[in-house]
Amino acid sequence: MKPVISVRDLVKTYSIGEVRVPALRGVSLDVHAGEFVTVVGPSGSGKSTLMHILGCLDKPTGGEYFLDGQNVSQLNDDQLSRIRNKQIGFVFQGFNLLSRTSALENVELPLLYGGSNTPPQERRKRAMEALAAVGLADRAEHHPNQLSGGQQQRVAIARALMNNPAILMADEPTGNLDSRTSIEVMDIFQALKDGRGITIVLITHEPQVAAYGSRILTIKDGCIVSDKANVRRRLARYELEYEPRDASLVEGRAG
Amino acid sequence: MSPRSCFRVALRALAKNKLQTALTMIGLTIGVATVLTMIALGSGAQSSIQDQVKAAGMNLIVITAGNYKVKTEDDFGVVENARFEAPRAESPFRAAIWTGDDRPRFLPVFHPEDDPLEKHDHPTASQRLGDMEAGLGSAATLASGDAAAIRKLKGVQFVSEGVHENAHVAFGGKRWFTRLHGDDVSLPFIRRAWKFERGRFYTAREENNTDQVIVLGSVAAEKLFGDANPVGEIVKIWNQPFKVVGVVTSGSWLVAPAPGDDQFDAVYVPFTTVHRLLNLSKLNDITVTAASSGDVTRLSKGITELLRGRHKIGPTKPDDFTVTSQARQALAKGGMRPEVARSVVGNVDVLEKVTLEQLGKTLDRSSRTMTALLACIAAVSLLVGGIGIMNIMLLSVTERTKEIGIRRAIGARRKDVLLQFLMEATTLSVAGGLGGIAIGVAASIAIARWASWAASISFISVALAFGISAAVGIFFGYYPARQASEVAPMESLRYE
Ligand SMILES: Nc1ncnc2c1ncn2[C@@H]1O[C@H](COP(=O)(O)OP(=O)(O)OP(=O)(O)O)[C@@H](O)[C@H]1O
Ligand SMILES: [Mg+2]
Repeated sequence: MKPVISVRDLVKTYSIGEVRVPALRGVSLDVHAGEFVTVVGPSGSGKSTLMHILGCLDKPTGGEYFLDGQNVSQLNDDQLSRIRNKQIGFVFQGFNLLSRTSALENVELPLLYGGSNTPPQERRKRAMEALAAVGLADRAEHHPNQLSGGQQQRVAIARALMNNPAILMADEPTGNLDSRTSIEVMDIFQALKDGRGITIVLITHEPQVAAYGSRILTIKDGCIVSDKANVRRRLARYELEYEPRDASLVEGRAG
Repeated sequence: MSPRSCFRVALRALAKNKLQTALTMIGLTIGVATVLTMIALGSGAQSSIQDQVKAAGMNLIVITAGNYKVKTEDDFGVVENARFEAPRAESPFRAAIWTGDDRPRFLPVFHPEDDPLEKHDHPTASQRLGDMEAGLGSAATLASGDAAAIRKLKGVQFVSEGVHENAHVAFGGKRWFTRLHGDDVSLPFIRRAWKFERGRFYTAREENNTDQVIVLGSVAAEKLFGDANPVGEIVKIWNQPFKVVGVVTSGSWLVAPAPGDDQFDAVYVPFTTVHRLLNLSKLNDITVTAASSGDVTRLSKGITELLRGRHKIGPTKPDDFTVTSQARQALAKGGMRPEVARSVVGNVDVLEKVTLEQLGKTLDRSSRTMTALLACIAAVSLLVGGIGIMNIMLLSVTERTKEIGIRRAIGARRKDVLLQFLMEATTLSVAGGLGGIAIGVAASIAIARWASWAASISFISVALAFGISAAVGIFFGYYPARQASEVAPMESLRYE
């Protein structure tokens, strides 16, 4: 089976004036459809840099990247925008929701740029469904600053899934969340992988979070140092059911 | 991204900083208001020229007895006034001159009444002598019948017969030498800028009865009566009693009654009365107004034909009357709006030669000057307004880098971002423009009402103002929008 993501000798070097900072030094990697890859590594190892390149948010300084068999380096800006809109969903540590915009409208956003002029009512309906899927139907009109961290992240996930992308990329999605909320978010990811077969690339610096994935990649100084299937996969669903519910943590806000 | 959602996003973005948005719009509001007022005044001036011209008496045609000037055209097409060179009939006057012989010699002499530049108030010597050869230069060629015939022409509004004399007007011990005008009752309708200080003009009935009634010009009234009310008093002219029925003065500040002027240092009596008392039937002139000022040329021709027919003038002979439609005459009579009259007087030196078209051009020019001035103000304020929009849009781009980044990360193309920011700039400018349109319309109405300068707002000018404000938004919003579209998707990851 052809990999969804295939990179060869990926190099990314940042230049700040005379100083050259190598963030990735030759990363080669294949990710197949339906995999839940978690990327771990110490701070500054190049995890985020890798995700930006895989998510077509940034361009590598060297190496090749094939997304669904397409050479990404040959695509123009409009085509990359289209990929970000249709094929890849993003979830960030900082949520990256539009402030002063309701949850519903944030979720509608990918439809606006879809190119397929979805009528407003249809957009609304689909956004409502997406919100309901992450359990936030009753918070549709709330603005991001009126939502808890976990709720914001769920809105972000709903937005990322709006155009039914094949790949979901998450950079420290639980970084700003407490442990229980983190498990809830991981539950959503696992459900997406198992239920819809979405390919997930999740970046984290916590091994406990990485343990939810089906495959764990370890990066150090811009190089992959280990790449193995996760045999002791944690199951968020199970943990949520059997861990005692702590009310203060469930509704607690991210710092 | 559809224009509609684009517009909604733009509205929301602008609503965030209401004060900033409002302040930015002001520049454009002023600009557009000026544009609109400018157009309103410009087109108002144009459309009122016709009215002005009419109100001023530019529809005035004066037929004077006699013809002293005939227009000729030289090879260069330049029209100038030249003396008519037709052979004159020899003067019937002979002076007997003794040269030492036993027989006096009779030589033709120049008679003062034959002076072709002099206006003749009374039958010329040649006419009194029954010399039908007198023709050109004699000035008893107009009669009441001519006026009556002109009255029947199509397109004629008012006709007033005119007999003019110089006369002593006496009241008690005071005497005042002034112009005496024998006119028709319709004269006040022709002289629009007349105001009856006291009393009234004589009536058609008094005219028909050849009543000895008199209307005093304000100067004459002041000389004879001082501050006292002359109405009802009896003054004497040619030892005949005349009852004063009214005092007339200027209704326009442009024309101030002054001793020696022809309008208010004058007295008016029915022309029929003058005819009866002096046993005359001739007229010095006939004043005609055309119902439409555009009709003056046609009507002048019609009158010329009519009178040539009535006077049995052969095709090769020149007219024995002069038809003029003079500008200065009209201006002097007042009735034109002061600013228009001033511009005319200031811009045209040879008013007598001014045709209606020329006058129109002059008015055009003066309104164009005004328009140009306003256009400068409008251009400057639109420029300033536009720069204001550009400034705030650039600020907005910097402020919202993260937002733009998020949109780009979610799949917005450069084009989408460009369009969104253009839409914002345009919404801003159009909102400012709408305010400007409201102010402009109000200003035009106010100017029309209080400054009595004609201003007309048309749908086209409003549409144009709208278009200009949109154009300013697009023009000045393009650069910031361009900057916005250059924001990389990576910017979404910037922490604020
Ligand atoms: N825009 C940039 N300009 C210059 N250097 C950068 C830039 N972004 C990242 N780097 C450098 O590249 C290296 C990798 O950074 P990256 O953000 O990928 O690390 P990370 O693994 O995500 O770290 P963390 O766990 O702290 O998020 C670091 O040394 C960082 O300083
Ligand atoms: Mg990182």
